[in-house]
Amino acid sequence: MKHLYSLLFSLLLLLAGHGSYGQQQQPAKTITGNFEQVPFRQFVRELEIQTDYRFYFEAGTPPDSFRVSVRVSEQPLKRVLEQVFDGTPYRFALTNDYRVFLTTGTSIEPQLSTTFFRPTGSPPEGPVVAAPEDLTPTTAPGRSRYVSAAEYKVYQIGTGNGTGLVTLAGHIKDIKSGEPVIGATIYSEAPSIGTNTDQFGFYSLTLPAGRYTLQVRSVGSKNTRRQVILRGNGRLEIEVEEDITTLREVVIEGEKDKNVSSTQMGLEKLDIKTIKQVPTAFGEADILRVILTLPGVKSVGEGSTGLNVRGGATDQNLILFNDMTVYNPSHLFGFFSAFNPDMLQGVELYKSAMPAKYGGRLSSVLDITTREGNKKQFGATGGIGPLTSRLTLEGPIIKDRSSFLIGGRASYSDWLLRQLDDKKFRQSSAAFSDLSAHISHQINDQNSVYATGYFSTDRFKLASDTTYRYANKSASLKWRHNFSNQLYGVLTGAFSQYDYDITSENNDVNSSRLQYAINQTSLRADFSYYPNPKHSVDFGASSLLYNVSPGGLTPLNENSLVLPNVLAREQALESAVYVSDKIDVNQRLSVSVGLRYSLYNALGPRSVYEYAAGESRSESTIIDTVRYGSGKVLATYHGPEYRVSARYSLSDNSSVKLSYNRTRQYISQLTNTASVSPADTWKLADNNIRPQIGDQVSAGYYRNFKSNTIETSVEVYYKSLRDFVDYKGGAVLLLNPTIETDIINAEGKAYGVEVLVRKLTGKMNGWLSYTYSRSLVRANVGTPADQINDGRYYPSNFDKPHDVTLVGNYRFSRRFSTSLNFTYSTGRPITLPIAKYLVGNTLRVLYSDRNAYRVPDYLRADLALNIEGGHKAQKLAHSSWTVGVYNLTGRQNPYSIYFKSENGQIRGYKLSIFGRPIPTITYNFKF
Amino acid sequence: MKTPATFLRGLLAIVLLLPIGCVEPYAPDVIDAPPSLLVVDGFINAAGPTTIRLSRTASLAATITPPPEARARLVIEQQNGPNYPLTETTLGTYVSAANVLPAGSLCRLRITTGTGKEYASDFVPVKLTPPIETLRWTPANNQVNVLVSTRDDTGASQYYRWEYEQTWEITPPYRPSVEYVKLGSDTGFMRRIAIPYPTLCWTSNKSTRILLSQTTALSQDIVVDFRVQGLSAGSPELNTRYSILVRQQALTAAEYTYWEQLRKNTENIGSLFDPQPSQSVGNVRSLSADDASLVLGFVGAHSVTEKRQFISYEELPSNWSRSTGYEACLPPDTVFLGSRGLDPPSATPAQIQFLAFASQLYLPIDAIPNLSSAVAFTAKKRDCVDCRTRGTAVRPSFW
Repeated sequence: MKHLYSLLFSLLLLLAGHGSYGQQQQPAKTITGNFEQVPFRQFVRELEIQTDYRFYFEAGTPPDSFRVSVRVSEQPLKRVLEQVFDGTPYRFALTNDYRVFLTTGTSIEPQLSTTFFRPTGSPPEGPVVAAPEDLTPTTAPGRSRYVSAAEYKVYQIGTGNGTGLVTLAGHIKDIKSGEPVIGATIYSEAPSIGTNTDQFGFYSLTLPAGRYTLQVRSVGSKNTRRQVILRGNGRLEIEVEEDITTLREVVIEGEKDKNVSSTQMGLEKLDIKTIKQVPTAFGEADILRVILTLPGVKSVGEGSTGLNVRGGATDQNLILFNDMTVYNPSHLFGFFSAFNPDMLQGVELYKSAMPAKYGGRLSSVLDITTREGNKKQFGATGGIGPLTSRLTLEGPIIKDRSSFLIGGRASYSDWLLRQLDDKKFRQSSAAFSDLSAHISHQINDQNSVYATGYFSTDRFKLASDTTYRYANKSASLKWRHNFSNQLYGVLTGAFSQYDYDITSENNDVNSSRLQYAINQTSLRADFSYYPNPKHSVDFGASSLLYNVSPGGLTPLNENSLVLPNVLAREQALESAVYVSDKIDVNQRLSVSVGLRYSLYNALGPRSVYEYAAGESRSESTIIDTVRYGSGKVLATYHGPEYRVSARYSLSDNSSVKLSYNRTRQYISQLTNTASVSPADTWKLADNNIRPQIGDQVSAGYYRNFKSNTIETSVEVYYKSLRDFVDYKGGAVLLLNPTIETDIINAEGKAYGVEVLVRKLTGKMNGWLSYTYSRSLVRANVGTPADQINDGRYYPSNFDKPHDVTLVGNYRFSRRFSTSLNFTYSTGRPITLPIAKYLVGNTLRVLYSDRNAYRVPDYLRADLALNIEGGHKAQKLAHSSWTVGVYNLTGRQNPYSIYFKSENGQIRGYKLSIFGRPIPTITYNFKF
Repeated sequence: MKTPATFLRGLLAIVLLLPIGCVEPYAPDVIDAPPSLLVVDGFINAAGPTTIRLSRTASLAATITPPPEARARLVIEQQNGPNYPLTETTLGTYVSAANVLPAGSLCRLRITTGTGKEYASDFVPVKLTPPIETLRWTPANNQVNVLVSTRDDTGASQYYRWEYEQTWEITPPYRPSVEYVKLGSDTGFMRRIAIPYPTLCWTSNKSTRILLSQTTALSQDIVVDFRVQGLSAGSPELNTRYSILVRQQALTAAEYTYWEQLRKNTENIGSLFDPQPSQSVGNVRSLSADDASLVLGFVGAHSVTEKRQFISYEELPSNWSRSTGYEACLPPDTVFLGSRGLDPPSATPAQIQFLAFASQLYLPIDAIPNLSSAVAFTAKKRDCVDCRTRGTAVRPSFW
């Protein structure tokens, strides 16, 4: 307690300091009067009437017996008080916002009553309409040791006369590392105006001039606040403390009441700490696997990181890693995601109401951001798990201005396979690694540059003569310029490449290599403009050049008879301009409108087939081949993409939101397998393959309980998809020069309800979600050969109507916590055999209509125990252990159901990938 | 106690092998009563008799083979040419005379079922199959691979399908000296065997896998060492002498696609990256517009070429193990006729003999003599004694 009071006192001294010069800014009102033995309180009331000042003092200081006798005429307050208190132990301080603080001597008396500092009298007139505040500081429990003096300082911003609107801008950074804090919320409670920091930690807040207490909350940091008096435009750099403990409570507070108050809907945000708490099969924090626990996100089965967001296909997600597109986000058949958890800051998943800035994919945007690296000191983090190890280094290049962050991860599964007795395994190999690096440099207050590089590679061979290898390579360079507090721009150049090859070398005659590659080069300029508190405007333009090598089969040596078969390269240019404005119409209603216009040109050189109209496309219905020269446009598609959303607050803790958005996608993934496979290819839209178009309408109701510690929401959506690709039975997708003959432009619809309850604080926290959703496909155009199930709607591969997920965390102490993860979902649809028949000496299987049946339901529970090392913040190294059991009940969830004809008999088999409880242990460290 | 190394392996087995190894049988609860669809199996032989088998689909749970479709009338129709009728030999099997159809001519199969429904396959061009160039075998990695090579210098064949029929000798381990003759409902007697069981049999079976190869991606129409069969060392087929007859067919692209789809559906589904099943629709359709029922099967038109290869045990690597296929039949059982030990006999020797051998499913082999009369017989189930349960005692013509 003593500690607290001395803080209070230093606050007073600070205020007094300000008062000494702040007074000169306006001609002060003077005092005239003849006071004879007036009780001090009465005297104060008189002074408050004659001036704009308010007095703050404790009852009894000075005591009621203290009476004032003074005669003054047109004297300033300061002079008057000097006269009054001359020869008494009482001291006063005047502030420039017309406050008078009275104290005794130089120290504060031990018994302060609750009325201490209670404002008396009426607020002063004038342009300042800040609400009267309770100045008694309330410190959050458990943080007094770290409390920052900055919270109690009152910052003067600008030098204006304090009328009209002013803009406050700056960065929110981590106090220890100097890294920007992304997605932090900074807001004033009354009036309720707030904003978020962007990916650079930058914020811009426009408020009426006046005095405010700005609350700063962010994911993974301690909450803080700043007291400001806004007189004109200015900057305020804010440093926040990292929250060292892994308590979910702080994590979620960043989102506190945002759920209700933001116009954004269908957005899921996860920070790396949340991600690290969820148990996984191989002990390593896995970003995609945690994403899969969120409502509305599904995959066809475990071991697959292909995401199906709200009934969309796996290729309809824009996966961005620091603004670089990642085409294959998984390692080792999808058991691992290809991102090093130590590098990451967090992840945002937009399921609906996609910001106009993003485009090019129908269903979702998954925005993964890395940290920026410690700008103050060097550090290392890492982990050792049963299959992989990782190490991340970071530190300043120029202290406080530039930093680097570099992280690598590698598997030793190759080595492990060789230790096994089974020859099959010894002939197998499975290895992967990834490396990412990030450099940021602040040139000056106006300019910063950022560079990111990413490389991931996989190679595997399963007791066969065929080796699979694939790699992602990406790089981006970003320059950010602040034009003013209200306007800044970011120029981003990025390059991404995904390629794979499949090498077969068993037999000289057939030895060959199949290769595929796609790369994209993009340039974009994005601007954010905050003209006034009611508007925040984003606008920009982007252009993206695709270059695809759709496949090539080449002989490996001169004995090979394999004919080189290399499909012609494809090129296309996708450009877009966008503008969006978020308008706060009033306290209750907030609307965000955006328009994106995208233009797509498929470019030559290329030969394109023309098919006879009205017939099923096949090689025999080709009527012409048209050759386009280099750079010639062979097909153009364009159209607007609308992005509209609105929020209406019903009360302080409940709101309804609506959104509508249209998206266009000019590139499709060709995959004929149930899960995403590394041999899938991406195909650009052209004369014969139309781009996909999606529309989504969603509505939601949000309500928080118990002072925003429990969030609930219900969102419903309806989505229609046009021209997404489906395949004729037995389609050949690789090395097919007439791929359009095997593709059907199908239409789809998806709808669902997502219910989410999150408990945010306390020893027990986590979330429970239930989703009911359907995803249906129809292929009913063209000839009967092009139709599936006679042109009726049928469930898509990832139509799983019911889904319940519980992610829970219970903290026994600061060092021990347990996490429980429970997932149930309806089995995915499957095409089942319905009869058998005899052909070619063997019983064969007749299959049902496509996806007419379902595999058994999916049910899994995982448990993990996190043991933290000691919690001394200044310790050299922090370490933690994660001990977990994946699939606690050992349920054999089907990954695949298939039927085989063996020795003339038809048998069904169920393949479970994780059919038993899998214990794991991982050691993590941080210097 | 477990050593750290075995512990490590155990841990690895948990972490690593599970993803690969967890496959268990699965029987879906509800498969609705399937429709009974007509199935057409066979092709129009361009140089020889055509054999077509008609049957109906059966439910997956059915234990019987799918029912044959009898009393249908089948005819090969050659466009602008004569028709060739087929006659039913056994139930559901229809055979034509040995016809010769010119390459490139179009023909189809027309079916009229016993209930009067009419179906026909699409007209397909007749293809002539090139001869098999070589059929050889090589031992590699403890396995005998049977490899076929072929070429078509005209480049017209391109799509190939193979079937094989394999035959091998089997030698039963026992040569019984006695047999049991059943006289009435409860009596019989043991005697010296009258007609000895055969000491050598031959057993055969046909390929069940769909063997396909195409050369469209090669600069020449040539198939080198396509593996049609692989036999692991120590398999009973290789015990003494083995023979394989490989039949080669050149297909059209459409027929190849049909077989490939069929293979994908019924042989390949299930590894991580295999395609989804799809309905394999053949080229047989109903001729009446109002009958939309599906017909399964693809009727192509081509000739067949064949080649035979023998493998003797002596030709195999000398260190390879050997098995007869009768390993489970050793050692023989013993049937005691009298009392063993202190228990009083529960049945007379005649009763014991009758109970053991009257069914003829269990055969006596030799008497175990004790002084003057037999007190026991060695015996084994018929399958271990009579090799005709596994094949035929008639020497094949090509052997």
